[in-house]
Amino acid sequence: MVETLEFQVKLSRGAAFTLDAAETVPLTGVTALVGPSGGGKTSLMRALAGLEKPANAQVRFRGRDWSGNGVHIAPEERRIGFVFQSPSLFPHLDVAGNLRYGARRREVENYDAIIEALDLGALLHRRVQGLSGGEARRVALGRAMASNPEILFLDEPLSGLDMARKMELLPYIGRAVAEARVPALYVTHSEAEVTSLADRVLGLSGGRLTGWQVPPPRLTARVTSVSSGVMRVLVDGADAPDGAEFTLPIIAKLGEQVGLGLPVDSLLVSSEPPGRSDAIACLPVEVLDGAGGLTLKVFGQKISLPRGGPHVVGARLWLSILKVLPRPEPSDSGDAH
Amino acid sequence: MSVWPAIWLTLQLAAVTTAILMVISMPLAWWLATTRAKTRPFFEAITTLPLVLPPTVLGFYLLVIMRPDAPLGAFFLNATGETLAFSFTGLVIASVIYSLPFAVQPMQTAFRSVPQTTLDAARMLGANPRDAFFSVSLPMASRGAVTAAVLSFAHTVGEFGVVLMVGGNIPGKTRVISIEIFSAVETLDYRTAHVLSAWLLVLSLVVLTLVYVFNRRGGSRFG
Repeated sequence: MVETLEFQVKLSRGAAFTLDAAETVPLTGVTALVGPSGGGKTSLMRALAGLEKPANAQVRFRGRDWSGNGVHIAPEERRIGFVFQSPSLFPHLDVAGNLRYGARRREVENYDAIIEALDLGALLHRRVQGLSGGEARRVALGRAMASNPEILFLDEPLSGLDMARKMELLPYIGRAVAEARVPALYVTHSEAEVTSLADRVLGLSGGRLTGWQVPPPRLTARVTSVSSGVMRVLVDGADAPDGAEFTLPIIAKLGEQVGLGLPVDSLLVSSEPPGRSDAIACLPVEVLDGAGGLTLKVFGQKISLPRGGPHVVGARLWLSILKVLPRPEPSDSGDAH
Repeated sequence: MSVWPAIWLTLQLAAVTTAILMVISMPLAWWLATTRAKTRPFFEAITTLPLVLPPTVLGFYLLVIMRPDAPLGAFFLNATGETLAFSFTGLVIASVIYSLPFAVQPMQTAFRSVPQTTLDAARMLGANPRDAFFSVSLPMASRGAVTAAVLSFAHTVGEFGVVLMVGGNIPGKTRVISIEIFSAVETLDYRTAHVLSAWLLVLSLVVLTLVYVFNRRGGSRFG
């Protein structure tokens, strides 16, 4: 089986806008599609889903033609869990009815794990009109996942929410993707969402793909204890908790693996231990490559920063982390890369 | 003179007309609400025509095509041994055409107000277009459908000109309430005219009030 989504899509909206994009996307983890508004991200996503039917589209998922070569698989046959910019819930059904809608059509009997992962239990018998913006997003996400998709398409699922609400929902999205154990295509123009969720980043601007960007630095860690609203995590690869364990808001259970998205502007590299500071953590690191960018070894894990240097290869440094955007990882395999 | 045959006939006519109209106008309204066909304005105009034409004009043309020597009238005469004009069936056909805009327009508006992404969401969750229509479009447009049914019924109860042209004034067969009132006034039977007019007035008021109450409740439900 070819684990890729291949596409070549050309479409135009009058003379003002044309989309012309071709790429092969690996079907693991989260692929972020980023770029300015009006750049064609949503159009591309809709064309891949079959909701738009451009004359010139070749889409191939796991070696099977979705569009092109004389084929057009109907959107409902593609098994895409699509979350739209607006929650687009069904107003004539309650929350449970919305979740059941896709599940029933795909013969999914049990989706309790999704209800639990997204904290939907208390909402099940609510009418969708009474939901807050954040609750409605969670239901939309749960509804897409309960339909047992083979891939998630998330089109700015947090758009229209304020920053606090977005930060609150980010771990849910990470949890949803981890729980679904399927790849995701994630459209956004938010730096925080990319840092928290993306394993790779593809740019799209003015209807043209601008290539793969450097993915955000990310470490993996394991939850070692959970108590009173916080969890402690130990960075994978560290032998002793000393200097490798720190506290984060709870987003995962004891023993689970979490990915730590590291916003590059909240990282500080120093040649001496900084002593007492505001940093969440201060980790000993070793320079693997110091010319141009900076590649560091952190307890056996490798991260690349777009700046830094010049540093001598092999030099021992300290990495202070001022902010972490964690995401839950699929429980059986930590390696989504 | 008993007014009950006229009342009974009117209710029968309105019920049959409404039932037929719902079946015809639901797909028509959905098509008008969703099609991108260039011919749409023409079909919109056709469905709205009964709203602006004088009932006598509509009735006259209907009478012409229902005459026994016209194809439709001849076909009906052969099939049933009865003329189409001045029959209950003729009245039903005329009423369906006359009330068509009242059934189509509320449903068209309701179908149009179903957001495209809600339908897209249904498709992505595994519903084919037909399934999405019955499980999403129709329930979300149910308010429009009820309004359409009630207005069709009420409008049929109140029609006069078309019925007079197509059905004439045959007691128990084509003499509906509005025509009964007309004949009562012509024969100076003001008592009957009063009773029937009051009956129609109250019925229409009740029906319209129900429509508005239902719409307001629906509005908060879907708003």
